[in-house]
Amino acid sequence: MTDLTQAAASRLLTDTNHNRRPWGLLLVAVPVFLVGWLVIWPTISAIARTVWRLDAEGNYGFNLSSYVFFFSDQYSLNNLAITLWTTGMCALLLLVICLPIALYLRFSSGRLPAYVQGLAIFPLFVPSIILAYAFIRVLGPNGMVDILFNAVGLPKIRTPYLTPWGPVIGLVWDNIPLTVLILLAGLGNVANQSIEAARDVGANRLQVFWHIILPRISNSVLVALSFSILGIFSAFTLPYLLGPASPEMMGPFMQRTFREVNDPLNAITQAVIAFGFCIVFGLFYVRSVARNRGG
Amino acid sequence: MARLEITGVSKQFDTTTAVADFTLEVDNGELVCLLGPSGSGKSTLLRMVGGFERPTAGSIRIDGEEIIHLPPEKRPTGMVFQSHALWTHMNVFKNIAFGLRLRHLPRDEIRRRVEAVLELVGLTGYGSRLTHQLSGGQQQRVALARSLVLEPKILLLDEPFASLDQHLRERLREDVRDIQQRLGITTLFVTHGQDEALAMADRIVVMRDGRIEQVGPPSEVYRAPATPFVAGFIGQMNLLEGVVDTQVFACPGLAARIPIADGPATLAVRPEALGLSPARGQGMGVIHRAVDYGSHVMIDVELPDGYRVKSMMPQSEAWTAGRPVDFNVGTIVAYRDNALIYRGAQVEEQSRPAGRRVVRSNG
Repeated sequence: MTDLTQAAASRLLTDTNHNRRPWGLLLVAVPVFLVGWLVIWPTISAIARTVWRLDAEGNYGFNLSSYVFFFSDQYSLNNLAITLWTTGMCALLLLVICLPIALYLRFSSGRLPAYVQGLAIFPLFVPSIILAYAFIRVLGPNGMVDILFNAVGLPKIRTPYLTPWGPVIGLVWDNIPLTVLILLAGLGNVANQSIEAARDVGANRLQVFWHIILPRISNSVLVALSFSILGIFSAFTLPYLLGPASPEMMGPFMQRTFREVNDPLNAITQAVIAFGFCIVFGLFYVRSVARNRGG
Repeated sequence: MARLEITGVSKQFDTTTAVADFTLEVDNGELVCLLGPSGSGKSTLLRMVGGFERPTAGSIRIDGEEIIHLPPEKRPTGMVFQSHALWTHMNVFKNIAFGLRLRHLPRDEIRRRVEAVLELVGLTGYGSRLTHQLSGGQQQRVALARSLVLEPKILLLDEPFASLDQHLRERLREDVRDIQQRLGITTLFVTHGQDEALAMADRIVVMRDGRIEQVGPPSEVYRAPATPFVAGFIGQMNLLEGVVDTQVFACPGLAARIPIADGPATLAVRPEALGLSPARGQGMGVIHRAVDYGSHVMIDVELPDGYRVKSMMPQSEAWTAGRPVDFNVGTIVAYRDNALIYRGAQVEEQSRPAGRRVVRSNG
């Protein structure tokens, strides 16, 4: 290529890049605007409303009293603690339940794994409220299990539906499909030959899982857990219908503070605190995506 | 150093027979190539030796010890995969050291052995590199080092150069052959590249539909292919089908005197054994195309019935399209009923075109 043609080609490329740039920005402008309008602005507004408030003399000023109240109120702290416990327990159970399912689906072939996958994905198509009532009808007082136990002379069971395990069971069930799908996608990137190579150098099945598979799907595990944790931490329907009246998870707590106690300031404060916890997990997800994109 | 014995091994996938009653012995330090087209069962056989497939029937022994019941991790074999199969979350050192770590060797011993094997494959100083920072050839060397560091009794190579470019493939196969000979490691090598097999193997096993077509040293397989399939698969070969009548094989444009009984036969002539000379008259065939490869010219000659044969000749102005030529046939091989019945030079060349025949050029 001569200098002249090289220069022309280079100019053409530069021109094309310049021409394309506004189109690219326009394509992302609408979603960016919506995220700004519906997520970022309400977040900033909520934070501002809880820390920059009117005092008794009618002057605006920096005020953290609602946060001080939250972190000094035992009831609020109990609610936060039960939310964190439920979220952590659900994350742990999801990993323990979904990873074996995903491994089975990835490394098996035939009709049975197809049925297992169908069953694992099924809860995705069941609305949470139906799931909650089904749970109550099966495991609740005078539910199906209770009646069956009674029919064969077994003692009455203490149903988990009104204990903190109620929301855990419901939320785990509800989150199994998404977690399995994300883990399965991650396992799809683990080549069979990688596993065979590990076995060839002497690794048994457990060592293959620990040294080869798990490090290769760590990103997917992180993404799956981030999604689940974000959803569970701010869950409303299942914790509202299942579980004890007190302590309650942050979702029902916020709703009750806002509607029943009619205390918007404390409800917003609770929302900001919940958001603060969620954003930590969100950042894990963003970091994971960025690491993936970076190669 | 080890001896591999495969006896009567078969593998059935549902209704498909991948390997059928396969028997082979590989001696200490020998490199045997399994060569065949896709679907011939060569990779399945290698995977059965490695423990990744369980044979439907038969026995596999290493140094007389049955290994068929052992899982891959317990077998004294090392496999190099076509896709390298390196673990991208580990650097080069960790990839190679992984098997040693599983064996709980002391840290110093692991370091010493990994560094030694890196030197052996020409990658000294690459230990801290991540695998994606290596070229395809370097990745394949790491895969080889990962197997060699464990000092396996049998090295299994499953088309290890298939994903590399031609130049790199040629260089790497020489390196692998050097290393294999230096270590004297018994090796089973799967390839569908005839050049690779001819260049590297002590013996070649040509496979077709899960069965052995021929086993022998490269020179024998090349010069005396046992079946028309082997003749067509190894190198370039002109396969001409015709009839022998009173010891004269005849097909359109070509006749050759060979001392075999009368009847149908397939004549196989390598392009280098099919000499050409400019015809004085109509000629036995007409040049269709001549491709200059620098060291030689490959000439497609069209026979009277439209079939083409290939001839390899030194570069000359005489080889131009449309020119009539005569054949000077050198070493020939003849087959009947899928078996070799004659190998040697023709007794007397016949220049007259003869009879109804089929002519096929392979290559």
